[in-house]
Amino acid sequence: MRAAFSDSLVALAKKDPKVLLLTGDHGYALFDAFRKECPAQYINAGIAEQNMVGMAAGLARMGFKPFVYGLAAFIPVRVVEQIKLDIAHDNLPVVLLGDGAGFVYSHLGTSHQSTEDIACTRAIPNLTVLSPADRFEQTLCMQWAYECTGPVYMRMGKSDRGDVHREPLQAPLGALLPLHEQAGADIALIATGSMVKTARELLEKTLPGASVYSVPAIKPINTQALADVCNQHRLLITLEEHHTDGGLGSLVCEVSSTHAPRRVLRIGVQDRFSHGCGTYAYLLKEHGIDVDSIEKQITAFVQANPK
Amino acid sequence: MKSFLGLGFKLHTQYKPAHLRKTVLDMAWHGKTVHIGCAFSIIELLAVLHRSFLRYTDNNPLAEGRDYLVLSKGHGVMAQYACMLERGWIGPEHVTGYFADGSDLKGLSDSRIPGLEVTSGSLGHGFSVGVGMAMGAKLKNTDQKVYALVGDGEINEGPIWEGALFAAHHQLNNFMLIVDENGFQAMGTTQEVLALGSIADKLTAFGFETRTIDGHDEVNIEQAVRELWASDSTQPKAIVAKTVKGKGVSFMEHNNMWHYTRLNEDTYAQACAEVAGAQP
Repeated sequence: MRAAFSDSLVALAKKDPKVLLLTGDHGYALFDAFRKECPAQYINAGIAEQNMVGMAAGLARMGFKPFVYGLAAFIPVRVVEQIKLDIAHDNLPVVLLGDGAGFVYSHLGTSHQSTEDIACTRAIPNLTVLSPADRFEQTLCMQWAYECTGPVYMRMGKSDRGDVHREPLQAPLGALLPLHEQAGADIALIATGSMVKTARELLEKTLPGASVYSVPAIKPINTQALADVCNQHRLLITLEEHHTDGGLGSLVCEVSSTHAPRRVLRIGVQDRFSHGCGTYAYLLKEHGIDVDSIEKQITAFVQANPK
Repeated sequence: MKSFLGLGFKLHTQYKPAHLRKTVLDMAWHGKTVHIGCAFSIIELLAVLHRSFLRYTDNNPLAEGRDYLVLSKGHGVMAQYACMLERGWIGPEHVTGYFADGSDLKGLSDSRIPGLEVTSGSLGHGFSVGVGMAMGAKLKNTDQKVYALVGDGEINEGPIWEGALFAAHHQLNNFMLIVDENGFQAMGTTQEVLALGSIADKLTAFGFETRTIDGHDEVNIEQAVRELWASDSTQPKAIVAKTVKGKGVSFMEHNNMWHYTRLNEDTYAQACAEVAGAQP
């Protein structure tokens, strides 16, 4: 997934000299190829994210297409006001890349973990919010971001969970991507980012009769397509490596409540920070979003909502 | 939003400070608004920039290749409105209709108004946007210049110093920071709230080529700007302008209440008389 990101960025920059990469002193080896291929388009702004994002607005005003890279804990969370005021207010074409979202930095604790970034960015007008699940979605999202005439936040989570798709994708911005769709399915799993892989695992292990959808674009979303999914299934289960409030789960509830009221189980991070430290798998378990914990939640949800 | 372009109305007063201050007073009076003191401290600075330096096209504030004036201290926006009235970018109806329901001109700088390059008011933002513009001009190899006008209280904000490091490191000698050092911020003097020491020394230490001037002496301002642009140095430029908050009206000078106070009939009349009597 990181290779897909790097390859996409280099390809875009080589094609378009207006593409700039700004980093807040992050992405050490990730940008080797970019620095080699497009050195004049690379700016390390130093450990100074507020200035970097403000500068990106200035560069966009001068006709450039800045891609601003940082850890999701900092880009966007540390610089929400710069995104709102300097970039989104004027709909400037800046792409904000938040890497390591969720619990990727599991050993480092709260400062580097990011489970509120989608909620923070969804509420900012003009801002597109993307959350790719694998290398194919990553490449698709990079193309969407490049083509977007306004600002974009792209959340990049756990990158080594493997593919969920089998081939390169083509879809309009906002599309739901069906991974497994079957007529008459009772339950729909709707997931984003790293949790799409988990949804696939649940499909194979626990819920073979379910439909599974990936949501690489949190905003804008194809509301009609999502409403159709709501209509076609009795129970909806959302999965995200993010707070259950303000992210994908909230989005599905909002669309469902307006267009097709359904019971929705929001699986994600509850309203608390991490207590412990450990591997990525440990943190998922601590927060109840590992496969075993999710199975228990789903079982209880299904039992509480019989046909 | 209605077009602000081609209104065809120009005062042609050559940015005389008395006229600019009168416009500010009229806007504050009609709009029943505040921030007069911090607009008055930057009147001469803006007058000189508009008259002698900013490469704008009079009938098009959005013309390609223009210089950029970034009013990072958005609270002083009425001073820029007064200059925009001189340019013909806004009309007298914007003065009399200031703050009327549905009007466009806000109490803080909004970049959707041609003539205002940034949305500011939340402090410490415009400076970084200006640094990005200067970097963009360098990358495009244009000779555009970027001026960022900040308040001395505003430089409490961290991004200012992040941007200062960046501007010096990248040798942005097309960027000029102008600090309106009027000595006041929201709750008191800058000395009382968060002592700054010598701003000029700090900026010099950060790598800026710096001048300290009387921010109300137009000859002094013009000379400093010319000298800095004439320099062969690759350093970004900085002017620390010593100013008086509320300059030009006796009961407003050095009185921080005129950051917050609205005019009444008596104070409006007295201020107008003092400003009209001032010799630009």
